[in-house]
Amino acid sequence: MGRFSHAAGRRIVTFGMVTYDSSGAASPESLSPGFLARTLFNTGHKAIGLRYLWLALGSVLVGMLLSLLMRIHLGWPGLQIPLLSGFGGTAERYTALTMLHGSLMVFLVLTTAPQAGFGNYFLPLQIGAREMAFPIMNLVSLWGTAVSFVGMTTAFFVRPNVGLTLWTASVTLFCLAALLTALNFTITTLDLRAKGMTLPRMPLTVWAWFINAILSMLIFSILLAACVFLLSDRLLGSQFFSPLTFLSRQAPTIGPAAWLSLWQRLFWFFAQAEVYVAMLPCFGIVSHLLSTFSRKPVWAERAAVLALCAVGLFGFCIWGQHMFSSGLNPWSPLVFSMLASSLGLPACVLVLSWFGTLWNAKIQLNTAMLFALGFVSLFLSGGVSGIVLARNDLAAASLSDEFVTGHFHLVMGVAATFGMLGSLFFWFPKMFGRRLNEPLGKLHFWLTFGGVYCVFMPMHWLGLIAHWRPSAAVIGTNTPMVESFDIPFSASLRTFVTAATILTVAAQSLFLANFFWSLWRGEKIEDRNPWRATTLEWTLLSPVPTHNFDVTEPVVFRGAYEFSGSIGAEDFTAQNIAPAPVDPPLAARECVSDSAKEI
Amino acid sequence: MPGTSIVDELELIIEDIGGGGGKHPPPGGDDGDEGGKRRGPQMPSSRRYTTAIAIGIVSIIMFFMAMASAYLYLRAKSGWVPLHLPWIVWVNTAILLLSSGAMELARRRLALADVAQFRRLWTVATSLGVIFLVGQLAAWRQFVLAGFYVSTNQGSSFFYIFTGLHGLHLVGGICALLYVAMRKFEKAKLSRVVAAEVASYYWHFMDGLWIFLLALLYLGK
Repeated sequence: MGRFSHAAGRRIVTFGMVTYDSSGAASPESLSPGFLARTLFNTGHKAIGLRYLWLALGSVLVGMLLSLLMRIHLGWPGLQIPLLSGFGGTAERYTALTMLHGSLMVFLVLTTAPQAGFGNYFLPLQIGAREMAFPIMNLVSLWGTAVSFVGMTTAFFVRPNVGLTLWTASVTLFCLAALLTALNFTITTLDLRAKGMTLPRMPLTVWAWFINAILSMLIFSILLAACVFLLSDRLLGSQFFSPLTFLSRQAPTIGPAAWLSLWQRLFWFFAQAEVYVAMLPCFGIVSHLLSTFSRKPVWAERAAVLALCAVGLFGFCIWGQHMFSSGLNPWSPLVFSMLASSLGLPACVLVLSWFGTLWNAKIQLNTAMLFALGFVSLFLSGGVSGIVLARNDLAAASLSDEFVTGHFHLVMGVAATFGMLGSLFFWFPKMFGRRLNEPLGKLHFWLTFGGVYCVFMPMHWLGLIAHWRPSAAVIGTNTPMVESFDIPFSASLRTFVTAATILTVAAQSLFLANFFWSLWRGEKIEDRNPWRATTLEWTLLSPVPTHNFDVTEPVVFRGAYEFSGSIGAEDFTAQNIAPAPVDPPLAARECVSDSAKEI
Repeated sequence: MPGTSIVDELELIIEDIGGGGGKHPPPGGDDGDEGGKRRGPQMPSSRRYTTAIAIGIVSIIMFFMAMASAYLYLRAKSGWVPLHLPWIVWVNTAILLLSSGAMELARRRLALADVAQFRRLWTVATSLGVIFLVGQLAAWRQFVLAGFYVSTNQGSSFFYIFTGLHGLHLVGGICALLYVAMRKFEKAKLSRVVAAEVASYYWHFMDGLWIFLLALLYLGK
């Protein structure tokens, strides 16, 4: 405490509260934060964003190793690996393995990296702000998320009973952190935009982060409520879900179905929309990358924005329907199925917008663009199997776990990872002042792209095979012990999937090598804007200075995707370039309507 | 194209409430606070606090709605044991309503720049809030004496979780009220008027939320 009350502690508060509104003598540049303020208590949005990305990188590595372990257990159930075999040797351990893999990947990678990681770093930069609206709250969310990561991982290693309580507590903490982050994002986008950054001028990335923040705020509240119920059942002995904690002498009169279905409903209200929470920022980033590297404006930009809004809305309504139609009444499959299918509409608009952008364009096939294109491909392939699942008659016939696993990994997990990798290659120069190695990046892309198709496409196939054979219902369950190898074809297909998983995971070492090598030894970037992009972050030095924009406040004069309509020799016009005509505000207005006409 | 007009309208609405990116930058700050000071490179509007509380309230509503729907769902199942609310919750409700009233009176005094009277009324509102919390603890005690524990049945579980979580939110509210009462606003970037406004929104919301939860428990008994 003594140390905290010292200058460092004081600076922390100053650093968090007034960076941008101190004036004169107390200008931000005069502060040189101490060690603690730079590390643990750094409230700068860039530092926090980077920390989220590191957390996600750690989680994705652990999660990937766990998936490898699962495949090895499935492929060679009898194999004994020193140290690791204990993790998935029995059916319970295998389930715990799946749960840890799922929690890490969904919460700490898919939810955290595109939104809290890249979003924290680039949202203020792209809207011309100096900081998030509430920096200290942002720091609290970061540490909440980090603690929940530790909690979830520790839960795997302790006794199952304690582990489940710990896991639930960690998820509760994660929900609280996610809610604070979402609140921060919404307010930053609403209130901290630079002059001239009107809604139609916001980059699609910002739109996606904004819509995603609103969606997260609504759905993480639901998961929080469900977790509070569960925790209270486990710790206080309340009776929301479980008859096990029944202490009074009364006999439980309610059937267990009611408790189970309550948890399932609360959880799925959240989980249905959680898919879109993972995907929305990636939609924004991919549209942004496709436009930048096609050197063309986003085709039908406003329709794409509306489609992003619609994805958020429909994603929310699916559980809304779930709630009102099935909360008190019998299940209503028709409505649910129709709504799930209706998600196809905004998805189609987005895909059309992407293809429209690519049409007749001078495409620059660098690694970031390759990953964006890979995202489109994976999203389409995964989306097609999604249509099958959305039809309730087909889905009700239970296409088996493997079909569903293949579907959601392709469309949600891997596609979103491609979105993140694309953004990393795109923004790496801005974050670190160096470039990632392009040839190595491309090799990594092609190996991963081929690899994930080899892993997840046969999984769909395996699911269909299991569906054809009525006796296969047992095989579909995730327990390795009951894996049967009576059909040579599906057995060899499973081995193929396992081999492809090993190769794909091995290919990630290329990425890691590239990442760490480029971090210290990569080609230095002198140019502020190596990709010739239009948004505000590229007007700054790389890496971005601590307080983003200098004393001069950025002013925005045009939309985020003005390619080809150039002023001067370049084929793009940055958002902060004032138009040449006499009356600037009028001209800025015209510029917007011009770009709208082009659309 | 209809989309165009929707986006334009949305933009106007959000600029109106958000004060974010306008097309014609006003020459000075329009924030109300920091009047004489040079406007910093980018002085965020104090409206972000009101926006924050509005959005935070939506999030809290979602949280309690999830709980309320679980309540309605489980209640509709067979085997629901009727719940008898302790009488003291009605007294507590009256106290909380009085607290909200005192807060509104305090804000009126503040609008007239009568800070001394404001402080007095604000303290009354805060104290009534604390009394409400103590009253809720007394309600728990009454409930326990009547033989209802958290684990007795689902109805009692809901009674404890609703009152407990509402109380927890209220503790946050009391901290906010104490902050407004004790903070010296001369040097703060947040003006007392805005702080009192934001705190009062939350407080009135807590009031409404309690009435909703009580109605749920009473009508659903």
